[in-house]
Amino acid sequence: MGHENEKQEGIEQSLDFLGLDRSYSRRDFLRMSGITVVGISALGALGAKAGKEMPLIIMDQAEGIVIADPTKCVGCRRCELACTEFNDGKASPTMARIKVNRNLNFGAKGISGGQRGQGNWGNGLVVQDLCKQCPHPVPCANACPNDAIVVKPPTHARVVDPKKCIGCKICQRACPWEMMSFDSDTKQATKCFLCDGNPKCVEACPAEALIYVAWRDLTDKIPPRVVPTAPVAPAKAETCNECHKK
Amino acid sequence: MGEGKGEGGKESPVEKQNQQDAAGLAVTDFIRRRSEAGLLVTAEEIYGEFLRMGILTEKENQPAELEAFLKKTVKQNEELKEVLDGKGLSHYYSVQSMAETYARILIQREGDPLLLMAEVIRENSQRYPRPVPLNIFEDAPFELTPEQILFCLKKMADEKEYQDIEQTTTSIGTVFLYSRQYLEPDHAAMLAEWLDVGQSNNP
Amino acid sequence: MAKQGGWAGKVLRVDLSTGRISTEDTVEKYKDYLGGTGIGYKVIWDEVSPGTKPFDPANKLIFGVGPLAGTGAPCNGRTAITTLWPTCWPNPLVASGHMGGHFAAELKYAGYDAIIIEGKADRPVWLSIIDGKVEIKDARPLWGQGIRRTTLEVNQQLGPEASVAAIGQAGENLVPMSVVMNSYSHSAGGIGAIMGSKNLKAIGVRGTGSVYIAGNKEEWEKVIKLHLSLLGANNQHVVPNKPQPWAEYYSAGTRWVAARGNKWGAADPSIDTGACDPHNLNRIAYRTNNAAYFLGDRAWKYTVRGNGCASCPIRCHTMLKVPAVASKYGIPEVGQNTCAGLNFGRNFFKSFPDGPRGETAIEACMVGMHLADDLGIWCNYGQMQRDFVKIYYDGIIKNKVSEAEFKSYSWDKYEKGDPTFLFELLPRIANKEGELATALGLGTGYMLERWGIPEEDWRKDYNLVYWKMGHPKHHSNEDAGQCGVIINTIYNRDVQCHSHSNFIRNGLPIDVQKRLAAEIWGSADAVDAAGAYTPMNVYKAKMAKWSLLRKELHDCLSLCNWMGPWVASPLKERGYRGDDSIESLLYSIATGDKKSREELDKVAERIHLLHRALTIRDMGTKEMRSQHDTIPDWVFVDKSNKPPFTKGTIHMDRGDIEKGMDMFYKELGWDEATGAPLAETYQKLGLGYMIADLGKKGLLP
Repeated sequence: MGHENEKQEGIEQSLDFLGLDRSYSRRDFLRMSGITVVGISALGALGAKAGKEMPLIIMDQAEGIVIADPTKCVGCRRCELACTEFNDGKASPTMARIKVNRNLNFGAKGISGGQRGQGNWGNGLVVQDLCKQCPHPVPCANACPNDAIVVKPPTHARVVDPKKCIGCKICQRACPWEMMSFDSDTKQATKCFLCDGNPKCVEACPAEALIYVAWRDLTDKIPPRVVPTAPVAPAKAETCNECHKK
Repeated sequence: MGEGKGEGGKESPVEKQNQQDAAGLAVTDFIRRRSEAGLLVTAEEIYGEFLRMGILTEKENQPAELEAFLKKTVKQNEELKEVLDGKGLSHYYSVQSMAETYARILIQREGDPLLLMAEVIRENSQRYPRPVPLNIFEDAPFELTPEQILFCLKKMADEKEYQDIEQTTTSIGTVFLYSRQYLEPDHAAMLAEWLDVGQSNNP
Repeated sequence: MAKQGGWAGKVLRVDLSTGRISTEDTVEKYKDYLGGTGIGYKVIWDEVSPGTKPFDPANKLIFGVGPLAGTGAPCNGRTAITTLWPTCWPNPLVASGHMGGHFAAELKYAGYDAIIIEGKADRPVWLSIIDGKVEIKDARPLWGQGIRRTTLEVNQQLGPEASVAAIGQAGENLVPMSVVMNSYSHSAGGIGAIMGSKNLKAIGVRGTGSVYIAGNKEEWEKVIKLHLSLLGANNQHVVPNKPQPWAEYYSAGTRWVAARGNKWGAADPSIDTGACDPHNLNRIAYRTNNAAYFLGDRAWKYTVRGNGCASCPIRCHTMLKVPAVASKYGIPEVGQNTCAGLNFGRNFFKSFPDGPRGETAIEACMVGMHLADDLGIWCNYGQMQRDFVKIYYDGIIKNKVSEAEFKSYSWDKYEKGDPTFLFELLPRIANKEGELATALGLGTGYMLERWGIPEEDWRKDYNLVYWKMGHPKHHSNEDAGQCGVIINTIYNRDVQCHSHSNFIRNGLPIDVQKRLAAEIWGSADAVDAAGAYTPMNVYKAKMAKWSLLRKELHDCLSLCNWMGPWVASPLKERGYRGDDSIESLLYSIATGDKKSREELDKVAERIHLLHRALTIRDMGTKEMRSQHDTIPDWVFVDKSNKPPFTKGTIHMDRGDIEKGMDMFYKELGWDEATGAPLAETYQKLGLGYMIADLGKKGLLP
């Protein structure tokens, strides 16, 4: 019985976080816990609470995604500023969840591009780096030892849960596009959460270089920046067998 | 407007009103989008477009009905305006996307380019005040051909009603036009030079 | 403890003589001076004694930014650099240069509001700032290299995001007409040789921190969006240059050049700029194309995109790609800059074979940018180029240089308008090779002195637009009659004030401008229609005061005076009104220090007064009116002898201007006879501590 109460509490907490206001009956809970791993993403905290029994694996796809046109970027960085000023009350390009400055001068390859590469010092092309809201398997979420990266309705963006994040930065090493940010004031990870469906960066761009569209898989269309070095958290790796076993 | 709906082919008043509202919205949206693109709209164009879109199907009296509906919609909707061209034909635009200045140019362009040029030159000379570079008449929204422009210039030099229209040329060869009724020649020349050369020499 | 809003919190002090690096608390020590030139003037007042020369180690160089730098406030990318000015003639006085780009923002993110450079290193060095870690590094491998290579090599050490302000060979060689540059195309004139005299090759900054907004973030977002909604095109021109569907007005000569059919032709693939309705804040960047504005419509096909400072949506720099120049001149096919920087190369030539807006003019611009922005040569707002045309065609060069040197230049190429001539001239200026190059590099005042040419000759010449003390006018009577003239008397280099010219040139009809003028400066009589000037009145004096104070304010807050103030807007529903309190709104929310428009203008007035005090102190006289606030003769001359205040002439009347100066001094609380601020004015503006010293030296009226 105690275990059930814990689970109930866990559900209520996650529903709170997700902004869902209903109170769930025991019957609802059994129905939910009976469904496969697919539904667990909506019960992030519960999953963590239940520990080894139900680690969080995100299955839901995101509903939306921000797409960038590098041929229109004028290098003003208002997107970075809108992201952090309007969400966090501070101007912090280092923490911005859209990343432009690192490609601005010399392109994505950095200084090795010299004067003939991209960016302001090359041909002018500025590539804007954006979170792809990866489909399953979600690298940052899977690397997190605390199940702190969850799915948030209505956009189903992959979002850092500040109640769970311990600031270990493993997620930063997991993202092939180096899109995880770290907030040095809260000492927690943060990432693009699509501003709940009305992305501030898209609104801010004076060159119409960003659009917010229905989600599509860009993970195999945009080359990664780095080879990720973070493993999948062991507890999660075990659960791969639940769906993928022979 | 609208096909018969409801039982027995008769529309209820509510349904009819809804259809009218929907039609009004469609018309407004169409006009607004055309205005954004810098175009006026005639009833005939709307009719053709709605046919194409399947909002209407061909019926006798329908164009006239549409025209009446349009006039009513424009009357009720502050956003929409009607202008008449030289032949008395109605054109419509949305003030949300198009300024009256632009609409007037478009309307006059259909008529006598001479009148258009003269009015633009006189208005600029009086209001701003400043002369107008000749080359704007080649671009949108005027889009007069070089032949038309030359013809107009000639006519303006000859005809009595246009004796106030004069030319001045800047130091780099750009021709400006002004109305002597509102701008003195020295002033016009100075302004033309300032606009064409002086401002960019003083960045 | 709540984080400080706006200001980063620290002023970095670097003594290159001793190697000592220390910091001060910005708010504690400099809050009353805001930042930028405010901190600069204060440091010069406190720490640099009169009689110091620009290249003395005792001169200081203050890179100052403001509380708004690094934030999302539109148009905040400016760094003001204050020092004793090397081209200020006959005696150096305090002045400031300004550079855009990303340096100001990066400095704030690193944690600093200003850098005070003192002393002189005993060998070439560069300053490395990585957040809290500040080091003086060996720059001997960089010395002798241009700005481009220097920047590249510093970025290799600090990472690609770092912002680097570097000097070229001109600065190294102590050529007074030299610049410091950052972000490829953003220069501050006059600073290069000061850095060179200190053996400071570059400052590289990497900042990973934040600038905090003290106020409520929703409120901040609202003000930012309000500000964005009021923006026009470059120079806050609020009317398009050709009829657009949405526009009630249009006016040839504004910088709002977007239109259907005008494309960024060298974008890949090309992008149509379109009609750019002012309500569409996502298309602000397409409104302006300064290459097309200055070089004619053919520049559209060479336009890759706009560029410019951090945070600014306007993109007043144009990035051009001109494939022909690569094979023709051996230079990169891509180049970028704006205004005087863009026209650097072109302005040397009297004419081109295919006219002022032909291909050759564009090529001359590309060659000029390539050379000048790497060698680091300053143009002094085009004065070097105007001087060059005169001294060549008047036979002065032939007179003043040796026959051998004269023959060493291909003058036939110069006369033909061949851009390859720049390859002969510009490197020599940077390296002080020969009499001509050396003289040009000194700046106008010292060049005239060196060659025994009376300054009078320059003050009479209508085409040179020389003003005084070695520098040209910068938006004077041609832009705003008496207001423009008054403004140009006050500084120790060209005034760099655009508050008035932005308004006058914004494209609105005169009746609308007068309506707005009445609201801002008290009467419709504050402004005249261009070329239809009327006699002086007190409202013009108020406008002159407002123009200068706002320029100073912008230079302290880090706002761009080439865009602000924002007193007009493109919005018909607002009656084309902007908002004259944008600066105070932004300042109050960002810093948490709530100041009304009037209160913030008072702070600006204090800083402006400090500049005046410095000028008086270092000139050693209170006779500003007769000795300093002078006006060249050409201002009072009309080529066709039309009387002043008739239509078609812009020249001024001496008596009327005297009246104007009276009124202006009165507005500022300065003595009308001398132009020196009254003791009570210092007191009222919080500079009472200066009274004793100034009084002792007889510098109070």
